[in-house]
Amino acid sequence: MRRLKVFKSLLIDSLDVITHGSRKYHLWMGFLTFVMLVGMYCYSIQLDQGLSVTGMTDRVSWGLYISNFTFLVGVAAAAVMLVMPTYVLKDIDFKQAVLIGEGLAVAALIMCLAFVVADMGGPSVLWHMIPGIGVFNFPNSMLTWDVIVLNGYLFLNISIPYYILFRHYQGKDANPKIYVPGALISVFWAVSIHLVTAFLYQGLQARPFWNNALLGPRFLASAFAAGPALIILVLAIIRNYTAFKVENKTIGKLAMIVTVAAQINLIMLVSELFKEFYAPTHHSESAYYLFFGLHGKNALLPWIWTSIPLNVLATVLLTFGKFRNNFKVLYFCCFILFVAIWIEKGFGLIVPGFIPGPYGKIAEYTPTGVEIGVTMGIWALGAFVFTILAKTAIKIETGKLRYKKKDSQ
Amino acid sequence: MNNNCYTYSIGCLIMALFLSFSCKHKESKYHSLTDKIEEESKDFIGTDISLETLLEEMKLLEIHEEGHAFLIPERKGQLKSYACSECHTKPLASMTSLEIGKKAHWNVKLAHADNLTMNCITCHSESNLDELTSLTGSEIDFDASYKLCSQCHTAQFKDWTGGAHGKKIAGWAPPRASMTCVNCHNPHSPSFDTRWPSRFNTQMEKERKEGLSH
Amino acid sequence: MSENNTKWFSLNLSNSKPKQQASTCGCGNTSGGCGGHQNEIRSSAIGDERHKDGFEQVFDVQMDRRTAFKKLTASLLIGAGAVTTSCSVVADEKSKEKAQIDWEEQFKGNYKLMSDEEKKATVDRLVRSYELRTNKTISMTSENAQENVLFGYAFNISKCQGYMDCVSACVEENNQDRNSEMQYIRIHEMKDGQGLKFDEADDNYYHEVPAEGHFYLGTQCFHCDNPPCVDVCPVQATWREEDGLVVIDYDWCVGCRYCMAACPYDGRRFNWSKPEVPEDEVNKNQHYLGNRMRKKGVMEKCTFCVQRSRKGQNPACVDACPTGARIFGNLLDPNSTIRWVLENKKVFRLKEDLGTEPKFWYFMD
Repeated sequence: MRRLKVFKSLLIDSLDVITHGSRKYHLWMGFLTFVMLVGMYCYSIQLDQGLSVTGMTDRVSWGLYISNFTFLVGVAAAAVMLVMPTYVLKDIDFKQAVLIGEGLAVAALIMCLAFVVADMGGPSVLWHMIPGIGVFNFPNSMLTWDVIVLNGYLFLNISIPYYILFRHYQGKDANPKIYVPGALISVFWAVSIHLVTAFLYQGLQARPFWNNALLGPRFLASAFAAGPALIILVLAIIRNYTAFKVENKTIGKLAMIVTVAAQINLIMLVSELFKEFYAPTHHSESAYYLFFGLHGKNALLPWIWTSIPLNVLATVLLTFGKFRNNFKVLYFCCFILFVAIWIEKGFGLIVPGFIPGPYGKIAEYTPTGVEIGVTMGIWALGAFVFTILAKTAIKIETGKLRYKKKDSQ
Repeated sequence: MNNNCYTYSIGCLIMALFLSFSCKHKESKYHSLTDKIEEESKDFIGTDISLETLLEEMKLLEIHEEGHAFLIPERKGQLKSYACSECHTKPLASMTSLEIGKKAHWNVKLAHADNLTMNCITCHSESNLDELTSLTGSEIDFDASYKLCSQCHTAQFKDWTGGAHGKKIAGWAPPRASMTCVNCHNPHSPSFDTRWPSRFNTQMEKERKEGLSH
Repeated sequence: MSENNTKWFSLNLSNSKPKQQASTCGCGNTSGGCGGHQNEIRSSAIGDERHKDGFEQVFDVQMDRRTAFKKLTASLLIGAGAVTTSCSVVADEKSKEKAQIDWEEQFKGNYKLMSDEEKKATVDRLVRSYELRTNKTISMTSENAQENVLFGYAFNISKCQGYMDCVSACVEENNQDRNSEMQYIRIHEMKDGQGLKFDEADDNYYHEVPAEGHFYLGTQCFHCDNPPCVDVCPVQATWREEDGLVVIDYDWCVGCRYCMAACPYDGRRFNWSKPEVPEDEVNKNQHYLGNRMRKKGVMEKCTFCVQRSRKGQNPACVDACPTGARIFGNLLDPNSTIRWVLENKKVFRLKEDLGTEPKFWYFMD
């Protein structure tokens, strides 16, 4: 009963927190709301006319939505990079940042789910997927595995920070005996969400571009580069605009993680390129399409040749401690690395899987305005959710938001 | 203590899931599809599906060739002016000498092998135009015209009796009814003509050309 | 349609109404000819008319963007449409029946798991719904797979001349969307002497055929015995029937297109928009798993014309082929022609190394 009361007060307080802020904050939220509304409008067009308003065709049947989904699963998985040292290795450094990381994971997961729903041809019958009411083709379909791990991860990433914040809100300490096991599970879980998402593609013998054993590990490596890179950027912004203290040491450690992951990712990229181009078979055609174009079709060339140099540049810069420890360079590196991996893991992974088609036919894919609108709307949704979560969390963590604080005043 | 139990049970659950997944590829009884087909058809007792009602109204003849028994459409009733003897009262030789006006079969141009190999009387009996004739001069009934074709086209004939050449009438279910040679091939000009395809997919063309179809 | 053994949730909007009765509009005219309703009924495929009730109203109706946007929030509430209907004063008996059907259709179970009565019930509902919407009667069946039947197909590469009559027949038989020119069959025009070079083949030629120095090879769904598309479907909306046909429950499909990515043979098609077939071209001889009208956002594909093959007939493509390049039959019947082909001809299949075991063989004379 008391808990309910506290919960209610937390809700009211956080509502108060998120509706008040500086002008910049209001502008930011207003902007996000506007983008979301545009996205919803675009989605309503898609609902009305069908997926034909997107650039997808029978040839390239997954596009921007699934690309972003794949990438964001990686971002979500990266929260583990903060969770692990903090809870498991008892490294105090990250304690401040971990809530941010988990908030980011929640936002990323919500975006993932939104992208999947946006990609569905029949959102009105999505209940067919709910176990019990519908038919859940488990364990045969990797998609059902993905549904389980994503929702499970979402649950973990909501419940752990919620528990901690809920205790802190009441001015109590969180009991590690309760949240550490959860954190421990979420560590394994994070790896599994990304591996399972990789298996989604890896298990298709029809698509040689995806059907290779390196896909899963490469997913992990790129995720652990892009995710913490985003966290670094977010922490930088939070540090600048709020009272929340993030130590340099924390960011330094995160930068180390990004560096190692980016290096591993680059090694795997080289290995992949070697396999595709040293002894090319007709299974290498997708890679040819991606990197050099095929039969005069080369829509992806500008993208991938933006991504690769950015990726290499960022990795090289980060490798040298001198650059890495210069925060301006670090932020720049994180940004370009994030963009590079977004291209490589999104577009660069999904679209070539379909080109050329099973019988070597090529139809290129270019997203339409509606599709881009929905995508931006979902990104705005993610940013919106994250802003709300982060703002509340920061207020609680900095001690400005406490249960019954108002009464004592 | 409780927490340990919790993690342990979750771990077990994950293991169980993985195990159940690894069993996805159900060990099938057969090594390949062909083995399966062979094995399962060993004691084939037939199905409930039959084409008899569909074939009821057609005039069909049963033939036995190369160890296969099946139905083919009757031919004589389909010919426009059978019996030929209604006009051809005299043997062919005496009719060619008449030379009056337009010839009766002016539209028949023989495009079947070349002149060295075939002319009208390679197949049509000179003396009895109601019958066809084999290379050795035996008479062949119009309804059994395939026997004429099979004299040269032995490979096609074998495929036809087996079912690899030609079309079936109505469906796959027994009884088997196949079209005979002349149902698809004009005996005077048996090869198929070149022609334009019956469809062209403009949408697919757009999709391939532009990359954007909408 | 008994209430106790259904797999769908039933919303009884009008208790007194006998469900299968044809005359409900009160004017005594059984064929729906009482003026007032006729304006509402436009002749087009299922679910196109403006006045719709039930769940469809929220999700599937053709509306301008402004209204669509307004209704977007409402659409989150399941059953909002049904509420409007039940509260609506103007709703007559017919639209109530429509709403009832829509509701039951929306919440029915997976066809694969239905009992024979349930299958029949949904087929009856679909037929009735079509009748209510278009005033036309269709015949739809739900025949199950027969015992001792396993369908197989053989394609004679030396015979095919590339006329594409099979493609035409398939489109007409299976009520495929005319707007997007959906086709299940592809005929690949290949150069002689280069083997099977699919990437250099043209599957959308338009010139006199057969072209000099080319041969033709057709592909479609191969009805694999070990179909990868079936494994990946998250909701079991596609499965392999006992007679070897790989089929889709169009109403159960959620439209994730995972099966499409998993198919190595380009056998599957997606309805990116609402499929449309001119009313007079609709093939009214339908099967639930076959050529019945689809909706937007679901998968479809070749079913070896289940509506024909389960009656003993050949698929439309086989019947349409003027050269006899297509052979269809029962693989379990040792005396069938398809068996003779497999045993006496040098047959091969495409991408056999993938282990999908297609039931579609190619051979040459």
